[in-house]
Amino acid sequence: MPVFRLCLKIFKKKLPVMMIYVGLFLVISLLIASATRTEREKGFVQSKTNIAVINYDASPLVTGLIDGLKEIANIVPLEDDSSALQDALYFRKVTYILRIPEDFTDKFLKGEEVWIEKTSVPNSVDAVYVDLKVNQYLRIAQLYNSKSSIDSSKIVSHIHKDMEMETKVNLNGGEELKQDQSYAMYYYNYLAYSLFSVLILGISTIILVFNNQDLRRRNACSPIPAGSSNFQFILANGIFAVICWAIMVGFCIVFDYKNSNTTNTLLFLINSFVFTLCAVSISFLVGNLVKNQESISALTNVIALGPSFISGVFVPQEFLGEEVLKIASFTPTYWYVKANNTIANLNSFDMASLRETMGYTGIVLGFAIAFLSLALVVGKKKQLSHEA
Amino acid sequence: MIVHVENLVKRYGELTAIDHLSMDVRQGEIFGLLGPNGSGKTTAINCILSLLKYDKGMIEIFDKPMTPYAYDIKKDIGIVMQNVAVFEELTVYENIDYFCGLYIKDKTQKEAYVNEAIAFVGLGDFIKFYPKKLSGGLLRRLNIACGIAHKPKLIILDEPTVAVDPQSRNKILEGIVELNRQGATIIYTSHYMEEVEQICSRIMILDKGRIIAEGSKEELKSMISLGEKISVEVFNLKDIHVKEIEALPNITSVVYQDHTLVIKSHKGKDNLESVLNYVRKNGINFGTIYSEKPTLNDVFLEITGKELRD
Repeated sequence: MPVFRLCLKIFKKKLPVMMIYVGLFLVISLLIASATRTEREKGFVQSKTNIAVINYDASPLVTGLIDGLKEIANIVPLEDDSSALQDALYFRKVTYILRIPEDFTDKFLKGEEVWIEKTSVPNSVDAVYVDLKVNQYLRIAQLYNSKSSIDSSKIVSHIHKDMEMETKVNLNGGEELKQDQSYAMYYYNYLAYSLFSVLILGISTIILVFNNQDLRRRNACSPIPAGSSNFQFILANGIFAVICWAIMVGFCIVFDYKNSNTTNTLLFLINSFVFTLCAVSISFLVGNLVKNQESISALTNVIALGPSFISGVFVPQEFLGEEVLKIASFTPTYWYVKANNTIANLNSFDMASLRETMGYTGIVLGFAIAFLSLALVVGKKKQLSHEA
Repeated sequence: MIVHVENLVKRYGELTAIDHLSMDVRQGEIFGLLGPNGSGKTTAINCILSLLKYDKGMIEIFDKPMTPYAYDIKKDIGIVMQNVAVFEELTVYENIDYFCGLYIKDKTQKEAYVNEAIAFVGLGDFIKFYPKKLSGGLLRRLNIACGIAHKPKLIILDEPTVAVDPQSRNKILEGIVELNRQGATIIYTSHYMEEVEQICSRIMILDKGRIIAEGSKEELKSMISLGEKISVEVFNLKDIHVKEIEALPNITSVVYQDHTLVIKSHKGKDNLESVLNYVRKNGINFGTIYSEKPTLNDVFLEITGKELRD
């Protein structure tokens, strides 16, 4: 297998340059991944907002309301002084002030129209929650008051009993993942750049060497059949690509071994392997188009870096403009990153859930086939022009 | 017959690069293809090796039709291309090892052949060098080593001495003769007539894709009328003397220019003596005087009306 051995020797000679790419990739991917690793919520702790209650009605109904509010808010004692209250709101000492008038309970129990005055920080989410609590309390109180003639103390005890009742909610679906795939997602996304760079550098160089007309003719004079020579050539490049892929994904499995034993990892592997095939096809095309080694280095940067920037490798796709993403959708990197992002959020692995991921990976495969066909056409055309 | 070519025609659009070329190369000879640049030598070689498609003709090597798929024929051919065809990424040893490995599968035998080839071309001190670090002459030697390492029966060398210093050129020429002595049949193309004249047993002269002469160097020289060229260094010569010398027997032309008298004559053993007698008799003082036999350049000049290096 002389051609096979020759390819490996040339790969070996290019190893130092490729190792720079791999080394840089590992360092940067580790940095990026650790910087962007997100802690997912495993529990929920309710926080309390600060409110003030200016109460001029010390009835059991109002006391009950204030006790109810204490469950969701801290009651901050404030004097009923308009400038003091305004300062408290301005400096966020409180976000909500509730003013209960003197004859509130009497009017409320008689069914007359009655108002509670509220002042809150503009656009405050906390205020909405306090509003909900106040409305909920008063509606239940109104309900008991209208249906039976019970005194206000009993109404309060009924309201508290009712409000203590909770309904258990089970969330089904992909909101909470069994394992954190964020590291893997960033790693595999960044893999697009490094894999592209290394494969173009390695495979295009080999093709460039073998496309040298003098060497091509010299090899054609040998007794090695063209089919065997091509097979050895493809085998060497294939093995090179698989080794590059295996090394790069291997590091992710080592670094993130706690989260690696999942179906998500398997899907990441499949997606990245398909992307490797696509990168190989593009490398074949580049090798057939370029005329010298300097062009390969320049093209490696353009082909690997360009799509990485606009497809969400370095900057998440959510932060990229619509127009940019539209342009990026003409590159395989965009679909590869999209597939990774989808895989990272997968929790269910039935056909319906996988359809989206498979679609994206399928598009990457389509790109691979298209680029390979183009590379074969260009290569054949070149060969025929040499033989004419 | 080692190589048999019949009526080979190769056209590039309107240009006929090879025009009905027929040639036979016999076992054990060094066959020279001589012609100026662009005469079709390399195109002919590329067609013979099936590297180029041709429009018409038939090519047989080792009495079998030569095609791009004739791998049993190719295994016995060694080729040294006009342009150096070696891998820049491999060392001298690795290059020879690769090209030898295309033909020889046995590892031990291959290793022995590679070492023999290295010794043969004198690259023993450079085996770890990359081609870029070699001089033009050494690079040509590497090119030759890659072509001959597998000990082929037929070796085709396409202008292997282009841009090579005289020392390396002599080494290469000596090597070719040695390969022939060891049993290889050789096809040697060049536009250097001295080289072809020095090593080839049979010569074919090409011009514009056509054969203009073929034979041994003696046969080629016998084709032309020029038998001898006598040059005399004379400082003052009258026109009358030029005319009288021209009238001497066997003389075909006399030219006096830049203090040198050039006398061309038909074949004859007394030409130099008759010129010397005339010079002495007329008291003409002369410096050097020498006689030359016709060269292949004279053959080319007489047949085509132009110099071989035009």
